[in-house]
Amino acid sequence: MHLFDYIHDLGPEWILLIGACVALLFGIGRASGAGRVSGPIALITVLVALAVTLWVGVPAVGRDHPPGLLLTPFVYYVRLGGLVVGAFILLCNLHVPVAEERGEYFGLILFSLLGLLLTAAANDLIVLFFSIELVSVPTYVLIALSREDRRASEASLKYFFLGAIAAALMVYGFSFLYGVTGHMTLTSADGIVPAMSTKAAAMPGLPIYVVIGLLLAFAGFFFKIAAVPFHVYAPDVYEGAASPVTGLLGFLPKFAGFVAAARLLSVFGWDVGDAVLWLLWIVSLLTMTVGNTLALLQTNVKRILAYSSIAHSGYMLIGLLVGPALVATAGPMRDGVAAMLFYMVVYGTMNLGAFAVLAALSNKGEAVEELHDLEGLATRRPGLALALAICVFSLMGFPPTAGLLGKVYIFTSAFSVGAGHAFAKPLVVLAIIGVINSAIGAAYYLRIAAACYNRPPRIEPQRSGGVALRVGLGLCAAAMIVLFVFPTLLTGPAKTAANNLLPPAPAPAVAARE
Amino acid sequence: MNLAEWILTLVIFAPLAGALLLLLADPRDVKQIRVSALACSIATFLLALWALILYYSAAHAGAVGSFLLEKSVSWFGTSSGIDIRYHVGVDGISIWLLMLTSVLTPLAIFGSFTGIQSRAKEYYCWMLVLQTGMQGVFCSLDLLMFYVFFEFTLIPLFFIIGIWGGPEKARAATKFFIFTVAGTMLTFAGVLYIAYYHYVNSGRGIFTLDIPTLIAFGKMHGIAPAVQWWLFLAFAAGFSIKVPLFPVHTWLPLAHTEAPTAGSVILAGVLLKLGTYGFVRLSLPILPDASLAFAPFMAVLAICGIIYGALAAWVQDDVKKLVAYSSVSHMGFCVLGMFSLKMAGLTGSVIYMLNHGLSTGALFLVVGMIYERYHTRDIHRIGGLARTMPWMAFFLVFFTLSSIGLPGLNGFIGEFLVLLGTAVSNTAKDGFHAGPLGYAYAVPAATGIVLGAVYMLWMCRRVLFGPLTEPPHTPDTSTGLSRDLTAREIGILVPIALACVWIGVYPKPLMEAMQPAIHHNILAAAAIDSTGTAFAEAASPLDGEQLAATDSPRTGRRNVATGGVPAQAGAEPVVRCDSSSTRPGRGGRNAQAPSADRTFTAGGMSEPLSVTHYGTMPASLDPETPLVNTRRD
Repeated sequence: MHLFDYIHDLGPEWILLIGACVALLFGIGRASGAGRVSGPIALITVLVALAVTLWVGVPAVGRDHPPGLLLTPFVYYVRLGGLVVGAFILLCNLHVPVAEERGEYFGLILFSLLGLLLTAAANDLIVLFFSIELVSVPTYVLIALSREDRRASEASLKYFFLGAIAAALMVYGFSFLYGVTGHMTLTSADGIVPAMSTKAAAMPGLPIYVVIGLLLAFAGFFFKIAAVPFHVYAPDVYEGAASPVTGLLGFLPKFAGFVAAARLLSVFGWDVGDAVLWLLWIVSLLTMTVGNTLALLQTNVKRILAYSSIAHSGYMLIGLLVGPALVATAGPMRDGVAAMLFYMVVYGTMNLGAFAVLAALSNKGEAVEELHDLEGLATRRPGLALALAICVFSLMGFPPTAGLLGKVYIFTSAFSVGAGHAFAKPLVVLAIIGVINSAIGAAYYLRIAAACYNRPPRIEPQRSGGVALRVGLGLCAAAMIVLFVFPTLLTGPAKTAANNLLPPAPAPAVAARE
Repeated sequence: MNLAEWILTLVIFAPLAGALLLLLADPRDVKQIRVSALACSIATFLLALWALILYYSAAHAGAVGSFLLEKSVSWFGTSSGIDIRYHVGVDGISIWLLMLTSVLTPLAIFGSFTGIQSRAKEYYCWMLVLQTGMQGVFCSLDLLMFYVFFEFTLIPLFFIIGIWGGPEKARAATKFFIFTVAGTMLTFAGVLYIAYYHYVNSGRGIFTLDIPTLIAFGKMHGIAPAVQWWLFLAFAAGFSIKVPLFPVHTWLPLAHTEAPTAGSVILAGVLLKLGTYGFVRLSLPILPDASLAFAPFMAVLAICGIIYGALAAWVQDDVKKLVAYSSVSHMGFCVLGMFSLKMAGLTGSVIYMLNHGLSTGALFLVVGMIYERYHTRDIHRIGGLARTMPWMAFFLVFFTLSSIGLPGLNGFIGEFLVLLGTAVSNTAKDGFHAGPLGYAYAVPAATGIVLGAVYMLWMCRRVLFGPLTEPPHTPDTSTGLSRDLTAREIGILVPIALACVWIGVYPKPLMEAMQPAIHHNILAAAAIDSTGTAFAEAASPLDGEQLAATDSPRTGRRNVATGGVPAQAGAEPVVRCDSSSTRPGRGGRNAQAPSADRTFTAGGMSEPLSVTHYGTMPASLDPETPLVNTRRD
């Protein structure tokens, strides 16, 4: 592999890395004003990386890859979605850090973003582990940096300790996969699956240690996406962090968790045995039901959105569970992973938009977080109220927003599993439970919209944050409408990504027969 | 640019464009906002009128019964066999519901001029946005689009009730929203499943939600009966809450009572019709076997609603609540008629939708006008208003009579056809097969008419006649109202009154447009009787001989519960959409009209009824030319 190809193929990642270092260096200079450029540098870095992503285009399937990485259309989609939402995240975060911490703050956001991009490209268990931790570790710091508040420090610590346990579980699971097969590579001729197949050719199904390894690895992923029973940290952490960072937490770790899970399942062609599939089924059901039910009981908007974030992970798990391999027929998205990818970017945007509106308001210097603080927002700040309403109705899955289309794709993918498949009926049941959950979700999202519009004002909220924040949240809300009218902007790349996710090599069963 | 293609898009989105422009207006200049909103909705009405003219000219050019003024653009992209589209079009049913919407919205906006004093800009924006949503439902020919508009209408109405409503507005708005969403989410699942099912089983390899395609699929009994049952229940969950049918109606009285006048007008006038329209447009044609099987069940619920709504209305002290419960009762008739699965019943049902929209909408307007003056709707605190408000008294009595079905006004046509269709539904004669309902359903439903007359006239007597009773310090004329109705208010009510008289006296143009559409898109499309289970008996319900035969138990009643399932789904469809039946213009002009002085005895009614005001009958009502050849040779 030529050096040029190496640089060219990984262009966006290189740019993010360089940009992160530059932003960090500017922060070190404590001289007045030096840190001020860190934020714009980070934003420009992301935009340049986005341009380079478009210029490099969809990586060609089947060419040489950098060691430990696999560049596929899947990576292209994650780059695209991650960088677009990443730009929104930066816009909403520009005002957050205090002057002395700007360099670290924006550098860490870029590192986290870089981790997301690498997670999609990882083709090795160690690279996968490092990448996914590269997403999470900066977020621990970001939460603590985000505001001068003991709750933020508490949230940061909580997230760090629990995250460390989850990371340990995940890496323990990876060690089982390595121990059984003796290989680290994911998709390759001498990767873990062919090795496993040759070793266990005589035995039907997966070796038990592989199943244990997968379950442990998924425990780690479940923590990243805040799925039940690894969800307990989410409300406290989301509440503790400043709103713009909470918007980030709803996207970067979650996207990385889903990407890693999809990547690992794709190695096995979704042929991971009933135990893992049923585990996903049960977790999906519990996640959306528990998330929605507990959200009903909250009065703090950030906690409502935190529990709703848990519920949305449940919907996306349906897409992950369906996967391309389970699908005998084509739905509008062809498969669940494409639906999940679409939903993830849409969710990240609308969730960020909702948190950004909270960030754009303050009440006598205090953050606006309680439901009753929002009362009468429509008369006081009509623009912010409209943006919040669009994001909330999108989270609810209501027209005319992309949230509805996300639900259309997810639930249709569940219906599209061929009737012959053993999981066809459970998936239909799961989709119907998901639909009922959407109705429950409508109840608490509605309270946010009703507080903004239907009640007389209680407080006189002041503006907070800068112009960039308002531009960012406006873009988030506008994106929901635009994606509703032109869903193909995102569904096209998502479909290509998912279609090429499965390894071109023969499926494990076939390999075993050979 | 072909105008006929784009006219519906223009009609649908004109109010939305108006609302966006209105956002730019200065919120303090209330007068300008009001006038602009009114102008926008009147412009929409004129566009809709244009669409109506285009529809009728196209219909006379030879395409009666099918969808016209169609426009379709790809929405979800065209790759990999997905065909989800932006697809609009109208047939004889939806064009008139579109007209109803475009007539009622400007009147509702005009009627809000004095009632809405706070946050006027937002209010008129939401009204216009709501109009876009409602019109979109009636024009959608893609199921996902239908769902999108159907669901979207909730948002503006939620805010209209929640912001400008009465003292319990918060509870009313939330209850309305949550009830409806709970139902429509199941409909949503049904919509997605039907697309998948069609994809797998139609053999066309296209993932589509195109309504004409799905109707054609239903025509072939493409969906297995067991799946139809589930889908019917999923659709009914959303639609029957919207209608609302008896056990799930509880959100309606609250929402109506708390909503501002215009909200009630639109809610009763148009939004309830979204439910019945959903049944007519989707459930009946796409799920014919399940519709037949569930018809008795739905009819029983409808009758419960008719009687319960009437009795509940009788005991209300709040005039607005009384009208709200009368809506529950009336919408029961609407559902009953359509599940007779007969031409007469379905025609009646669709006309009933229009009538109910006009009469009940107008009643809410009148009640709102009283409320603006007296700040109470309590029947005990106001009385004898005819002495001081003769104009108001005239209109209240007029719309009451229209609502209770006085012959010569619109209500009668719908009620009569619904009951007729229900009564003769199970008649089987000469190869026409029995439908699901019959006298056993018509008779209890008819008591609803008697009760309706009782409570409405009782309300009129209490409010209008007797000694003058007014709360202290009223009438309140501070907002520029006079003691009796102002010219503006009379101007609002007169168009509705004229429409009521027109439908009552000369419904022919309506029926001429509807019946081919009902035949083509519902009865023939859902041709249950391809194996002889009688869905599409389209002979004249006014045929005296046939009516006489209803008493003869010649064929006995079919067991409808099992009769709905066709034994040979793949058999050659016997029901053809006979070219003679849909021949353009054949209707009124060529067919032998029943003589003007013809009288007949309608089943169950002792009085011979004159049908002189019907004029000439459309072909489908003409006994000599049965629309559908269902004879088994």
